Amino acid sequence: MRKITYAEAIREAMTQEIKANEDVYILGEDIGIYGGAFGLTNGMEEELGRENVMSTPISESAISGVAVGSALTGMRPILELQFSDFITIAMDNIVNQAAKLRYMNGGKGSIPIVVRTPGGSGAGFAAQHSQSLEAWTAHIPGLKVVQPSTPYDAKGLFKAALDDNNPVIFYEHKLLYGLKGEVPEETYSIPLGKADVKREGTDVTVVATSIMVHRALQAAEELEKQGISVEVIDPRTLVPLDIDTIVESVKKTSRAVVVYEAVQRGGYGAEIASLINESEAFDYLDAPVVRLGGKAVPMPYNMNLEKQAVPQVEDIIIAVKSTIAPVTI
Amino acid sequence: MAVELQMPKLGATMEKGTIIEWLKEEGDQVTVGEPILEIMTDKINIEVEAPSQGVLLKKLYEVDSEVPVLETIAYIGETGEEIVEKTSNRNVQSEVVKEDNNTQAQQALNTTVSTKTLTGKIRRTPAALKLAKAHGIDLHLVHGTGPNNRIQVRDVELFLEGQKAKITPLAKKIASVQQIDINTLQPSSTKIVKEDVTKELTRNKSNSVSYNGIRKVVGERMAQSSATVPHVTLHTTIDMTKAIELRKMLLEKILSRTGFRLSYTEILIKSVAHALMSHPMVNASLNGKKIDLHSDINIGIAVAIPNGLVVPVIRNADQKGLLELTVESKKLAKNARENRLTTDDFSGGTFTISNLGMYAVDSFTPIINQPESAILGVGRIQEQVVSVDGAIVSRPQMALSLSFDHRVIDGAPAAHFLTDLKEILENPYELMV
Repeated sequence: MRKITYAEAIREAMTQEIKANEDVYILGEDIGIYGGAFGLTNGMEEELGRENVMSTPISESAISGVAVGSALTGMRPILELQFSDFITIAMDNIVNQAAKLRYMNGGKGSIPIVVRTPGGSGAGFAAQHSQSLEAWTAHIPGLKVVQPSTPYDAKGLFKAALDDNNPVIFYEHKLLYGLKGEVPEETYSIPLGKADVKREGTDVTVVATSIMVHRALQAAEELEKQGISVEVIDPRTLVPLDIDTIVESVKKTSRAVVVYEAVQRGGYGAEIASLINESEAFDYLDAPVVRLGGKAVPMPYNMNLEKQAVPQVEDIIIAVKSTIAPVTI
Repeated sequence: MAVELQMPKLGATMEKGTIIEWLKEEGDQVTVGEPILEIMTDKINIEVEAPSQGVLLKKLYEVDSEVPVLETIAYIGETGEEIVEKTSNRNVQSEVVKEDNNTQAQQALNTTVSTKTLTGKIRRTPAALKLAKAHGIDLHLVHGTGPNNRIQVRDVELFLEGQKAKITPLAKKIASVQQIDINTLQPSSTKIVKEDVTKELTRNKSNSVSYNGIRKVVGERMAQSSATVPHVTLHTTIDMTKAIELRKMLLEKILSRTGFRLSYTEILIKSVAHALMSHPMVNASLNGKKIDLHSDINIGIAVAIPNGLVVPVIRNADQKGLLELTVESKKLAKNARENRLTTDDFSGGTFTISNLGMYAVDSFTPIINQPESAILGVGRIQEQVVSVDGAIVSRPQMALSLSFDHRVIDGAPAAHFLTDLKEILENPYELMV
């Protein structure tokens, strides 16, 4: 099968959906001739027209308001936020309007919008452009939260997100945009709420999200050489969360490490760890469930420090080993 | 690294131990298994052995110190080795964590180092506990190799394997046939051998049963009666020839009319009731400052039940014939054995008969069933050679023992009663009068 990048997979998905459904359109800053901050919409305006690829003023509040309003009238907008950090400006429309309008109107009307936005660090974009804020949105009832880690997942999950009649926050990772992988040309859908076992193993379950899936896979390879078999599970969607797949895996391995890039404190990994503890996997646990997240610091601009602030492959190795035996450092 | 010597936990309820004596001084060389100190629990004194070879580096407690279980009491290591004491070590680490709770290394460390001391509790994972429960393993016996010596599944598995290896096939077979849990066996040497299993078998047989419920009630009442009542016991022997004849004559008749077989017990009840009619002092109870002479004659019959002894009462036995007595005593005995007696069935007795004649008992000294004043113990009927009118003949003989409360009854009146009773039993037709 042909290999394309994560960014190309998402662009292809958007293009296919806009072509297939006249209600679908994309709006965002600089998405026209410029092709978006990360080039996701390169060439889309030319191909699909300005009605379908709508450049907007620099106002996330306005963009999200338009998206919510047009969704209420029957459109299915795709909203691009240049950086996931800017979701703060769109927060009222997303949290107080999009997430609740259907509920507050007794089920009349729906808000089928997809908020696409790159999160995460690793590109030296500093404190205001490098955060991982998925836990904020995952906390809000009424919002669905997706974090694809591969080009294949990105295309399939995007289709499912766009088909959903509820607002979906679609967190992309800026370091993954260049990642290549096999992606079918035809459209396909990966259901929301279905985790993917990215690697099978028997000793420790590592639940990793977004870019951490790849670091966990690297750690697993290294640990394999040391005789530790790691199973890597990618939930793919935080809301809804496929806890069953995780629990089944932990029952098999008896150990769990949850790895995520966001600040560890109050992060979504705590939710996953807690769900494991409350599940039938508890009796099978042979070590406390370990969370491995980012440090509680604003993301440094210096790329060496930036690297220090979020889990790296070596950190995952240490965390996995800490569930098996005392780790001396 | 220096090895900790801990206050052992020798039982589920042990919380601390007292150091009685140090058998080694700091700087002394020790080998594995060598006694280092002696401790005392509330149950036993025991020597604590060295877990590893080396030098006794440091004693943390003096003689007479009370130390919680699993607390470190000494360190063993190599000469000159620096001891990193656990408590200080912990403090350092928790401070570091406080200072910078964001470094990755500390996060990993944070998950492996607890700042709390776990006193008296076993540190184990849920999975280890589950496995241990499934195999009936006491986790106190398992050495934990996880973080903070936490017991993990592999430790339980190792323990299980060790147990499996350390039993001879013969011992294992006996244990499985006798349904003995191998894990509870204490091997006398390095392996569990046949003798260990058979020892457990005999030990199991002499297992204690709890002293409570009816067993305790019977025990306490007997002890109280024996201790507070001045017992005197009179013995006599009865020639049962005519009583046996009487029983033979009435047996079929009573059986056909009631379905119950007349036994000597009923003949005894009838005879005793009859004798009591003319001996009111024997049918009496000491009640504080007065002696109650009972107008009713209510005979209690001691009946053995699985865990004790009950004494159901036949009321107004003097007014009942052998047929009635047979029906009533058989029903009471049945109800007693089936644990269906009511309090009414127990109460109001004025005299008790304890009949062990069905066993190989010649005679015995019964203990009075207070507040009654006397009790009759009945032995078995046995053919014995006696002299009758100068001729040596064989006669069925039965021993009676009358224990009486000497505060209420003196020897002569008691003897008089027993004599009258003998007279009746040897000439049972007198009951017709």
